[in-house]
Amino acid sequence: MFEPLAFPYLAVVLVGFLPSEIWRWLSVVIAHRIDEESEALRLVRSVATALLVGVVVKIVSAPTRELAVAPLWARGGAFVFAAAAFFAFRRSVFAAIVAGEAAIIAGAWWWG
Amino acid sequence: MFAPNSRRWFFAGARTALSGPAWYVGLSLMSTGALARAAAFPPEAAMLATALIWAGPGQVLFFGAMAAKTAPAAIAFAVSLSSARLLPMCLSVLPMLRGEKTRRSTLLLAAHFIAVTVWAESLRRLPGMEKSRRLPFFFGFALTCSGLTTLTTGVGYWLTAAVPAPLAAGLMMLSPFYFLAATARASREGADWLAIGAGAVLAPLTQAFVGGGFDLLALAIVAGAGAWLPGFFARRAAA
Repeated sequence: MFEPLAFPYLAVVLVGFLPSEIWRWLSVVIAHRIDEESEALRLVRSVATALLVGVVVKIVSAPTRELAVAPLWARGGAFVFAAAAFFAFRRSVFAAIVAGEAAIIAGAWWWG
Repeated sequence: MFAPNSRRWFFAGARTALSGPAWYVGLSLMSTGALARAAAFPPEAAMLATALIWAGPGQVLFFGAMAAKTAPAAIAFAVSLSSARLLPMCLSVLPMLRGEKTRRSTLLLAAHFIAVTVWAESLRRLPGMEKSRRLPFFFGFALTCSGLTTLTTGVGYWLTAAVPAPLAAGLMMLSPFYFLAATARASREGADWLAIGAGAVLAPLTQAFVGGGFDLLALAIVAGAGAWLPGFFARRAAA
């Protein structure tokens, strides 16, 4: 019925673009009447944050072929390095990425 | 759309993007090209996804779930849920861009570009800027980020097959590191940190015990609501 190989662009628009973009459209509609401090907005923010973490855990625990060359403990350990660098360098996103990448590449190199 | 002298501010925004953030998000989202390849999508579809979806977690989710042959309706639902975070992001940026004569169509276009990178840099740079300069600066910045990332997505599609295995693994981890770090960077209150912590602790449990592709939804609702509740009761007690 629905074959991604036949309809890749349609899939991108219908299953990827529209479900995502609807929140941006909604924001334009309600931007002028919503209170930034409202409880609903706080709840949405927390739910969205937890979801993002869930997505990351999924990528790490059920890896693609490319990522699976690094053992699970190396994948998890890389996050420890990233977090340590993040806080050591005053919440630096760049430092977190550099440290995490160094750890995962080294892990995949030696134990892959 | 812009006042005559605003071309300068458009290019100022583009230069700001090229001084770091655009490369940054471009490199991070290269891995979505690799994910698209793993899901048997053509490279043009991967680039289209970057230009249209322009939300990293949604793109990762989309191609990851497509590769796993998840039902389209379930993917659309999960992508939508992962992009719900765009609502508060847009709501915090749009008021800074809106002038008295700003058209709604301009705001709709501006909202399309708001995702982690553009949101974070907007909050940082727009407040100190004269209002008439904000819109051209914003579009210069946002278009540069989006354009460069669309190109790097295509590069990532081919590159992951050509680079040594350890580097390919590193490429796949770029967006997870980037999203977590950017989220932690944007955390302003206890609820944000609680949501990150609860999500990390509960994710293995929901993955193990919640089936049918609903594990992410269950995780988001349980961990998210759990992170929001303490603050809610604290504010109620204080009010």
